[in-house]
Amino acid sequence: MTFDLILLQIFTGVALGSIFVLVALGLSLIFGLLTIVNFAHSQFFMLGAYVGVAVLGLTGNFWVALLAVPLIVGAIGMVCERVLIRPLYGRGIDYPLLLTFGLGLIILELVRIVAGTEGIPFNTPEGLTGAMDLGVFFFPKYRLFLIAVTALILVALWVFLEKTPFGLIIRAGARDPEIVQVLGVDVSKVWLIVFGIGTGLAALAGVLAAPIRGVFPEMGVPVLVEAFVVTVVGGMGSLLGAVIAGLAVGITLSMTSLFYPEMTTLSMFVLMAVVLIFRPRGLFGRAGVLD
Amino acid sequence: MESNTRPAATAKAGPMGGLVAVIARHRVLAALVVLAALPFVTPYEALAVNILIFGLYAMGFNLIFGYAGMLSFGHAALFGLGAYGCGVSIAKFAIPWFLALPIGIAVAGIGSVVIGWFAIRSRGIYFAMITLALSQVVYYSAYQWVSLTGGEDGLRGVNVPAIDVFGLHFDMLDPLVKYYVLYALAAVAIALFSRILHSPYGAVLEAIRENETRALACGYDVARTRWLAFILSGVFSGFAGALYAIHLSVVPIETLNYFNSAEVLMITLLGGMGTFFGAFVGAYVYIMLQDVMTVVTVHWQLVVGILFVVLILFFPRGIWGSLLKWVRA
Amino acid sequence: MSAAPPIMAVQNVVKRFGGFTALNDVTTSFAAGRLTSVIGPNGAGKSTFFNVLSGSFPPTEGRVFFNGTDITGTPQHKLAHMGIAKSFQITSLFPKLTVQENVRIAAQAMRSRFGLWQPRSALNLSDAVEALLLRVGLQDRRHESVDTLAHGQQRSLEIAVALACEPKLLLLDEPTAGMSPEEAREMMDLILKLNAERTVILVEHRMKLVMGISDRIVVLHHGTLLAEGTADDIRRHDEVKRVYLGQSV
Repeated sequence: MTFDLILLQIFTGVALGSIFVLVALGLSLIFGLLTIVNFAHSQFFMLGAYVGVAVLGLTGNFWVALLAVPLIVGAIGMVCERVLIRPLYGRGIDYPLLLTFGLGLIILELVRIVAGTEGIPFNTPEGLTGAMDLGVFFFPKYRLFLIAVTALILVALWVFLEKTPFGLIIRAGARDPEIVQVLGVDVSKVWLIVFGIGTGLAALAGVLAAPIRGVFPEMGVPVLVEAFVVTVVGGMGSLLGAVIAGLAVGITLSMTSLFYPEMTTLSMFVLMAVVLIFRPRGLFGRAGVLD
Repeated sequence: MESNTRPAATAKAGPMGGLVAVIARHRVLAALVVLAALPFVTPYEALAVNILIFGLYAMGFNLIFGYAGMLSFGHAALFGLGAYGCGVSIAKFAIPWFLALPIGIAVAGIGSVVIGWFAIRSRGIYFAMITLALSQVVYYSAYQWVSLTGGEDGLRGVNVPAIDVFGLHFDMLDPLVKYYVLYALAAVAIALFSRILHSPYGAVLEAIRENETRALACGYDVARTRWLAFILSGVFSGFAGALYAIHLSVVPIETLNYFNSAEVLMITLLGGMGTFFGAFVGAYVYIMLQDVMTVVTVHWQLVVGILFVVLILFFPRGIWGSLLKWVRA
Repeated sequence: MSAAPPIMAVQNVVKRFGGFTALNDVTTSFAAGRLTSVIGPNGAGKSTFFNVLSGSFPPTEGRVFFNGTDITGTPQHKLAHMGIAKSFQITSLFPKLTVQENVRIAAQAMRSRFGLWQPRSALNLSDAVEALLLRVGLQDRRHESVDTLAHGQQRSLEIAVALACEPKLLLLDEPTAGMSPEEAREMMDLILKLNAERTVILVEHRMKLVMGISDRIVVLHHGTLLAEGTADDIRRHDEVKRVYLGQSV
């Protein structure tokens, strides 16, 4: 077991974690503002991959797909929020959760009906195939790209939330929805856009994961649980928590697969259990939000 | 119907209200009478067994969801632990059924003690997410431990061909006989469940659901009351799981799948959360519907999804809950 | 005043919420059997003080004692069993249950912990419940659901629920909140009667209400203890006058 190998696994973990970060960010953003857990989140992830396949088929251009997917799926997400979730605001926390679970089933079955139950291959885009020499080891170019895109999204999101007036409203709303209302902002519009951003992020993660994970209707199922573990570890509603916990879970998974491969899937739950014992609200969870 | 603590609106509701009041007073008897006739109102007996088992499962789930007001998304683990606990005892260790059944219940009980300990300190959405994540631990563990559980292929060889009690011989290969044997076992569970709801503890559960802060100020240890509710709920679910293993002669890995957690939720919602009869009403409608739909289309989960959405948006009280409201109005 | 031993005492209590200090180094004690009122203008820290006394949250610094025992950080449900009961400023009952069942559940807490097998009626609580309903004048409403009661009746039920655990110390957080002047006076009469059997600590916004009935008054201002003493002491206190006149109460 050399140092290189461990470093390589850490890098692999970060690449894996990047996907988690994107999915969990969307989940956390939606929870932070709307206080609903989107159980359909993983199906928006899967939908992203399928829409990616469709756009790629039409244009033959991966970059166009990368841009179009979050927009298209985000728009679908906004329609769902407006039509299905909005009537449930103020009716307790369980109902939106149950509704989004049903919504997830509908999306899953519709994709099965339209695209079939078989998996669809998704090639690594040209120019991102092969590996790059990082000095200590060779690392797949696509995974480096994945890390870079995630970092870019994080910076963009940070600028959006910290530096724009709309971001200010979102942050204020996450802290106290009533304040935003008092200030005369149309909260329902904020919620609509946040739901769109959240589902768009999930879809982007889906299309980014496609060359690694493959595209098939059930691809979202493990993602939901992974994203839950990440948000539970990071703390619900905390964006910083989502980032740190996403990377931590990614690294935990890749390190366990190196040392105890048969324990890989279980390792993230062990991580979650340990965090819960010491911090029942997660690493960056706030008091009060969950009660 | 859900308890004897609600305002006595039934008195002024006319003949229907009077009927409901009578049923409420003898709810165990009423449930058993209806269930006794079940094999004759289903297309085939095996379906009646499924309704009985999933009704029992939903009844246990309802304790935590409907009565304690906590949304668990991990009950598949408890149902599955009961099924595997009982199934492994029979298939791998040749333990007789009357010992395997309590072993299954005990395994589910231990599982709910552990899962409950982690989950109970959180509330609301967090509770749902943690129970889901922990149930996946059980799923993956069973998936990997092939030598004991059969892994992906499920556990085979849970054979209980016949049951002999007090000199009576029951041929379990006869579906109708099997139904009534399981019915007799379920009857015990239903009676116990009703008794728990009726006890002072049942009152505390409702009180906590209504107002946790006040219950705490009254001197109730809310965390422990909830933990106990989770464990009791797990024991009933595990009992249903153990019966399921005996019923199927195999334990499919799907019993531990998160979809199974969603199904019991669906059944409970469909019937009416927090109502005594809702679990069985929901199980009847859901399983009959599923039976028809799987014949019509492979995409029957689409119907389940739509049903979820429609129920939540328009009928959050479920069938029995809406009926009660209509009778009392 | 100093003759009776203190039933409750706080020592150097500080409570901070983030950067905001709601209570700053408060030390005082409450004599057994007496009626003490805690008053102060808006934002004085009365509610925070009440919550520290009743164990809703622990103080950031300092200690709380009950009958000489340190109860800082003791879980709330244990405080109830030690003999501390409270009523909330915002009515806190079991809204979908009947009046009678509200009181019954509160009374049950002292009798049974995890009684799973016997029926509820086996606890024989009906006499105790009856007496409590009579005490607050809700005997005719026993079968009604709480959410159908008028505001003043809900406040009375709140008292009955608090009394159901047979407390040695009754903590009341603005029991007259939202009441008409007449209802408020009736409530004060009730509180005086209750005080005959147990210690009462009353947090109240309306100074006039408590002046006549309190054995002792504690005045909070900006999270600090401004003054304490009899009603006359407080009336003569220059600082108190200044603070209250500034608020025109």
